[in-house]
Amino acid sequence: MIRSGMRLPIALSLAPGVALFATFFVVPFALLVTSSFSEWSGLEFRFTGLENFQRMLADFVFWRAAGNTVFYSAVGVFVQVPLGCLIGIILAQKIRGWKVFRAIIFVPWVISGAAFALVFSMFYNPRFGLLNDILALFGFASRHDWLFDTSTARFAIAGTFAFVLGFTMIVVMAEIASIPKELYEAAECDGAQGWRLHRYITLPLLRNAIGTCVLIRLLSDIGLFDIVYILTLGGPNDSTVTLALYGYRAYLSGEWGFASAIGSTILLIGLVLILSVSRLFRLGERAQ
Amino acid sequence: MNLPSFRQSLSTLAIYSTLALAALVALGPTAWVMLSSFKTARQIFSGSGLLPSPFTLQGYVDAFAQVRLHEYLLNTLVYAAGGTLGALTVATLAAYPLARYRFAGRNTLVALISLALALPVVGLAVPEFFIMRALGLFDTKWGLIIFYSAQLFPLSFVILRSFLLSLPTDLEEAALIDGAGYFRIVLQIIVPLCRPALATAAVVAFVIIWNDFFFANLLTTSQENQNAQIALAGFRSQFRFNVTGALAGATLVMLVPIVVFLALQRQVIAGLTAGSTK
Repeated sequence: MIRSGMRLPIALSLAPGVALFATFFVVPFALLVTSSFSEWSGLEFRFTGLENFQRMLADFVFWRAAGNTVFYSAVGVFVQVPLGCLIGIILAQKIRGWKVFRAIIFVPWVISGAAFALVFSMFYNPRFGLLNDILALFGFASRHDWLFDTSTARFAIAGTFAFVLGFTMIVVMAEIASIPKELYEAAECDGAQGWRLHRYITLPLLRNAIGTCVLIRLLSDIGLFDIVYILTLGGPNDSTVTLALYGYRAYLSGEWGFASAIGSTILLIGLVLILSVSRLFRLGERAQ
Repeated sequence: MNLPSFRQSLSTLAIYSTLALAALVALGPTAWVMLSSFKTARQIFSGSGLLPSPFTLQGYVDAFAQVRLHEYLLNTLVYAAGGTLGALTVATLAAYPLARYRFAGRNTLVALISLALALPVVGLAVPEFFIMRALGLFDTKWGLIIFYSAQLFPLSFVILRSFLLSLPTDLEEAALIDGAGYFRIVLQIIVPLCRPALATAAVVAFVIIWNDFFFANLLTTSQENQNAQIALAGFRSQFRFNVTGALAGATLVMLVPIVVFLALQRQVIAGLTAGSTK
């Protein structure tokens, strides 16, 4: 299909993309894997086999980071995605005012982690934060410091993103828009109404969309960093630390090989998630 | 009142209450902070009143005069605009041949780039830092523009390629028969045809780079190269010293992507659904 005169321009056209991709994805990946099995401080490089991974698995902070990352992911999958779906299904009915609600509910998704961290450091502030004021309205007056109490800090962090529903909402709305109207008309003829219509038609057809949202949620939660780093630095007493933050600490202390082992672990979990979630939701296959 | 219509209005009430609650939770804390950015420090610390009284712009004055927020904002703009332009240029040049021509290694390359889009890139932090330093790009403005171009390349590539695959090839074939060269076809036919996909990728890439904290923090050390997200994170630690400046800064930094989103909703929404379901 390629005529001989086209070879050179095609190669020239691909070159910048391939060069950038190789420099910032392929080479770093190769470096990451190699240095995971080494002691590396930027200058010295010594192959140490599985030592980094053994050390990581023996470190209780790693398990705390892994546990927290699972906790944040669970909040994403079991709170954020279902609520986002609910809002998406409601708004897809194009009820009055749907555009306004869609815009408002989507806005938090475009706000940066750093700005969101600042917003919530105000919101949770024990002295003048809005949260304690709201609780006081319901008779729970307190000066609780949500972010600096080991029993509440994780929940406070999860609370910053649990209600960012925009992404799931948008994906679900787009998927519903592609469902043929005839399906609903046929089901109505058979006597289905209201929520039963959604239970038996919309939800099964949303399998692909929901799977996509779950996967994207998991992939971003596995790398959760900004909000935790800025709000608590992983504290108090490592109660909010994530895998990404745990790796960043190793990098800061100059233990690049160890940091790379943590980075490899994050990528490996990402890969396993991509494969298993795609399979679980049979992503890519059309519904029915 | 008959029963069906009563149930109807009850469910309408339930639906709108749910939506109102979702909207309140989504925007409440942010809106409160934006309002508070016009308060005096004394009012903020006393925690009294939702509305600013008295109304003051002192926070904004401080953000610019003391923290020099405009310099950070300018850097952020340079990175977001430069990185977006770089990513789109490189992605267009790569997406066209990879959508239209068959050659050895094509499918592998497409699969690798798509995989890179999905993997959590924070895992690559250490080698990225090392490579940027080795190339002399660490802590330079050009370095960050190049880095962001590379970071946003997979997303732009996937959006552009899937759009190209959905387009008919008639125009290009006609141009080929007329003797137009490869790059003329790219420039005069592909780029104009891809305008909707380019707009989509541009908006999403711009917002993602604008909002980046992780790599900006990892790859810059001097203040003159840092972006506004780093400035915000710095505010957090000196919170007690200038709370109004911090809130004014956060408001401005948030406002840019919010305005971009509200103005270009269609593109953002198209970008999310294209980048996620394809």
